[in-house]
Amino acid sequence: MTQPYNTSLFHFAAAFATGGLLSLMVLFNGTLAAYGSLFFASWVPHLTGTVAALIFLAVLRPRRAAVARPPLWVYLGGVSGAVTVMLTSATLNSALALSGTIALGLAGQMVFSLFADTRGLFGLPQRTPEPRDYISLAFIIAGSLILIFFGSST
Amino acid sequence: MIVFASLAILAGVLVSLSRQINGRLALSTSAMESSFWNHFVGLAFITIIALMVGGLFAGEPQNAPWWAYLGGTIGVVFIAAGSWLIARIGATRTALLIIAGQMVFGVLLDVAMGAPGNLWARVLGVSLILAGMWVAHSGKKAS
Repeated sequence: MTQPYNTSLFHFAAAFATGGLLSLMVLFNGTLAAYGSLFFASWVPHLTGTVAALIFLAVLRPRRAAVARPPLWVYLGGVSGAVTVMLTSATLNSALALSGTIALGLAGQMVFSLFADTRGLFGLPQRTPEPRDYISLAFIIAGSLILIFFGSST
Repeated sequence: MIVFASLAILAGVLVSLSRQINGRLALSTSAMESSFWNHFVGLAFITIIALMVGGLFAGEPQNAPWWAYLGGTIGVVFIAAGSWLIARIGATRTALLIIAGQMVFGVLLDVAMGAPGNLWARVLGVSLILAGMWVAHSGKKAS
């Protein structure tokens, strides 16, 4: 059942570019938060995002994968994402500040991702990370921590 | 302090959890439909919490620049892409490469906007991240 990691260059580039989108999103939503409340800075992107997704769906008409109804819990990903915003708004104002919040968040994200992959949680393919993956993880997280703590004024 | 540290770690866990659930939904529907439900259900949840807590329209949101309102549209593509990727390259690689992209493009944005920062830390940080990506991709037969 265990699938090896098989990442094509296209997947690599797509994931890297997706991270670039995230940096833009953080900038835009962070700017909203500078003018309005943290609730507002999360509520507005969810509202405009809902409308944008409907437009994308109407224009692109993506092919649906399965006829079988998925279990109801698969619709709750948005709750998890919204709670994330509320948790980070609490820790941002603590002694952790932005740097500590991001750094610990990266740690939580990576540990849980490794756990989910090795177990094949939530009906996603099970995968066993190779030594190369842990070396890669060490490099990327080390570089990220340097940028977070020493790279900028924020 | 331990409470806040735990909350910050939990926030990271939830980022990964959210991507896995959305990825599972994308398997049954499509990546864009998964992104729609993520935003719609999230909107309903935030609306309820904001109505209970209050202060949704506090501050001066009307003074924010127009481009600050584009985050949601970018977010739709971001969630759709993450849902699509996680079923194909796994949670670990999706998270690592998205973090790599966020950090590297974050530095480029900082430089473009003239944000102050330590040049050598930026060079070292970006170099380590690119090295990590090279390690992950080297030795692959399929590329």
